[in-house]
Amino acid sequence: MSSSSNGRGRASTGAYDGTYGGASALMSDPFDYLPDLAPLRPAAQAGDWPAVRAFFMGLDSAEKVSYASGLLSDIAGVEGFLERAVAELPGDPLPRTLLARRYISIGWDIRSGARAKHVSRDQFDRFHAWLRKAEQLLIEVCAEQPAYAPAWTARLITARGLELGQAEARRRYDRLSAHHPHHHRAQIQLLQQVCPKWSGSWEDAHGFARECASAAPDGSVAGALVAEAHIEHWLDLDSGADAAYMRGLPVRDDLRFAAQVSVLHRDHVPGWDTVGAHSTFAMAFSIGGHFADAAPHFAALGNRVNESPWCYLPDWRGQFTKFRKNALATL
Amino acid sequence: MTTQPHTDGGPSAAHTVTDTDLAALDGLISHTTTQGVPTLYAPRPGEITAGLFFRVGRADETLATAGITHLVEHLALHRLGLSDLHYNGATANTYTLFHVTGSEDEVVSYLNSVCAALRDLPLARLETEKEILRTEAAGRSGGPGSQLPLWRYGAQSYGLTSYSELGTWGLTADQVRHWAQTRFTRDNAVLWLTSDSVPAGLDLTLPAGTRRPAPAATSALPVTPAYIHGDDGHVVFTSVLRRSTAASVFADVLGRALFQDLRQEGGYSYSAEADYTPRDAEHATLTAYADALPKKQDAVVGGFVDTLARLRAGRIEQSELDSARGKILKRYDSPDLGASSLPSYALNLLLGHRLLSPEQHRAELNAVTLADLREVAREAWSTGLLQVPGRGADWAGFEPAPQYSQAAVVGTRHQSLEDDRITLVIGDEGVSLVTPRGPVTVRHDACAVMTTRPDGARSLTGTDGFCVSVEPTLYRGVTPERIAAVDASVPAAAVVPLPARDPQQIPRPRERTSAPQSSGGGRSTWAWTLGLWLVGSIAAIWSLLSAAVTADELGAADPEWDAVVGVWVLALPLLLVTWQLHRSRQRRRR
Repeated sequence: MSSSSNGRGRASTGAYDGTYGGASALMSDPFDYLPDLAPLRPAAQAGDWPAVRAFFMGLDSAEKVSYASGLLSDIAGVEGFLERAVAELPGDPLPRTLLARRYISIGWDIRSGARAKHVSRDQFDRFHAWLRKAEQLLIEVCAEQPAYAPAWTARLITARGLELGQAEARRRYDRLSAHHPHHHRAQIQLLQQVCPKWSGSWEDAHGFARECASAAPDGSVAGALVAEAHIEHWLDLDSGADAAYMRGLPVRDDLRFAAQVSVLHRDHVPGWDTVGAHSTFAMAFSIGGHFADAAPHFAALGNRVNESPWCYLPDWRGQFTKFRKNALATL
Repeated sequence: MTTQPHTDGGPSAAHTVTDTDLAALDGLISHTTTQGVPTLYAPRPGEITAGLFFRVGRADETLATAGITHLVEHLALHRLGLSDLHYNGATANTYTLFHVTGSEDEVVSYLNSVCAALRDLPLARLETEKEILRTEAAGRSGGPGSQLPLWRYGAQSYGLTSYSELGTWGLTADQVRHWAQTRFTRDNAVLWLTSDSVPAGLDLTLPAGTRRPAPAATSALPVTPAYIHGDDGHVVFTSVLRRSTAASVFADVLGRALFQDLRQEGGYSYSAEADYTPRDAEHATLTAYADALPKKQDAVVGGFVDTLARLRAGRIEQSELDSARGKILKRYDSPDLGASSLPSYALNLLLGHRLLSPEQHRAELNAVTLADLREVAREAWSTGLLQVPGRGADWAGFEPAPQYSQAAVVGTRHQSLEDDRITLVIGDEGVSLVTPRGPVTVRHDACAVMTTRPDGARSLTGTDGFCVSVEPTLYRGVTPERIAAVDASVPAAAVVPLPARDPQQIPRPRERTSAPQSSGGGRSTWAWTLGLWLVGSIAAIWSLLSAAVTADELGAADPEWDAVVGVWVLALPLLLVTWQLHRSRQRRRR
């Protein structure tokens, strides 16, 4: 691991120049802040499968396919043309995986993001029915193409929603990581699974985040998982204890180290997950009051921000601009 | 004497074995008949091993007569009890085998003794042998997949192996004798011997009869692939395949694939294996099994599902096929190939399955392709029944096996004394247990067995495997008349009388469940009761005094109303505290 000052110095090239707008000027939609994604949304909204397919075929990594398939799954109505594409291309893993991701999103919208006790029996039944439809498509794809990371990534979501258990989720991740050892979209999914809210434990959650971060090459976004685990932990603590947790020096040092080996490292190459990683670090440092540590992340973000995990905060846009102001004032 | 089980199709179309088939074995195995019993023999140095097969087994029985074949087997071997000979008997689903290893004289005397006993069973021993079988059963534990046959076939045909041998309670000497005379016949038998000739002095004289094809399979599974819940630590998958060389190769490929995935790669299982066993002339049962640590069992289910999916998708390596094929071909390296193949040829002859010469079998093995294996994998999936621990397997495309009957019968209704939501119905057509989640029904015309107890209890099991217990102590108004009505409706052949129970074993109703709150879970209330009594008594005495004062003042010429109001004002807090104590005590009781 290299010295921190280098990494930090380079990452703060987008230093505050006083031109950021307020909360309303924030760009939180990846379709807005990642120009590479531009062709996908209009093609999807127009039901133009050839264009959607061409977009995905043009992506140069499985990471990007996993990332974009998540975004596509949130666009209403895409299941129509995806179902037709699946029928036309029965041997192609892409349409089945995209359709499965869409089914998962439809199901999760029915379930809602609420804790399980606030979800009705009927909601659960319909949620599970959509997830089963998705899962059965994905079983086929993974059986045919065991190295196809986007399908395994989706199967981590179905495993969680269908409550197939920690061991099964981990098996899926292991099958995926045998081919793709640092697949960030899958790591984000498994981290959710190993948190106590999905029957995991804090030991597992922090352990998995550290395992990913230390196994990844310098400059990888995997370090953001360490910050994400701390944010999940903070969210679970009672008021008072939560703030103390994030203010504590052990958490701060853990975050600093993770940031230095990932997005603040000189080897970090900005990619689609960079905004997400900076967003996570910026929030983790800010809620602990470590504004000087948050500053390089806010500086790198500018007006861009990923909704997750900021949406855990009430009036998160307002909080973001307030924290950003505090952080950038330390520069 | 027994009702033939209800079946959903005709008897399996057994292939009639002719001399042309036997000719396939020329040069390897000789054949003849011995007192009318078809006989296969081939030489092997050393002692002779012989086996006498009969085409009768557990699948031919009914639940009420279950164990009758096993009883005949025990009675036939009784006279040999004290000899030192290496011999045994075995009762399987579709056959019974008597086998022995020894000198020619010993083999002859064993087989002669077995046939003599079958001609004239030592039925004086019947009650003792029944007792022995019951003891044997008590010491035998079912394997991890022992419940799967009943879920697939019901309480009949190939499902009977899931049940205990109920016939060991009620079978009569006449029933057992009749079974031996009609099933253990020369026309329903095949003998094999590892010898270059049939020994002189063999006397296999048996009654004439007919070759009985294996019973047709029944079904208790409306939809496959299906799943059931089983014990922790075990995942079992069974399916029914058409018998073929490719299917037997597939079983080996599946076993290795599971071992590779679950043990070598995943480390979730210690055992992971698959087995292919012929069921009848046309079909075989494929059984795949993996064990699991409780913390890893979800991953074992997942790996099992994915391995089946991989083979179904046809992603099978040529090396997987080659290893499985090589393992089977190795059997032909045996120096005494003819002798070592005798049991399987004899069984195929008995079941009416085609006989393949080693050359024909080798040619078929070499012709098996990856595409053939994929076809078998798809067949295995489409007829599959999976037993999983913990969560279900609906997520993987398996339907839950039926937990409830289609409908309840109409009749007298008897509410459970333990749970208001459960009602027993005794009707002319059958009995039902109506529960909030669905009915469980046994119709009299599809009753596989009804066990009876002298205390009035009845337990009915339908041919579909559903079971209803009629315990007069647990339901309202189950009078001796209602029990008599059940007795009058169930066919006599399905009735198995069981001995009286220890009075301690007769169930008594637990405390009733009427509200969602559980009974008996309340906290201690003695302190509240004491407080209630103390404060309540003072309140009562004061109230009486107040009433007396009020009455007194009402009778006075000039009532002192302020005194009346005063005593009542003092009574009020006492009454209020009494009420609060009462409420708190009630709350603690819930």
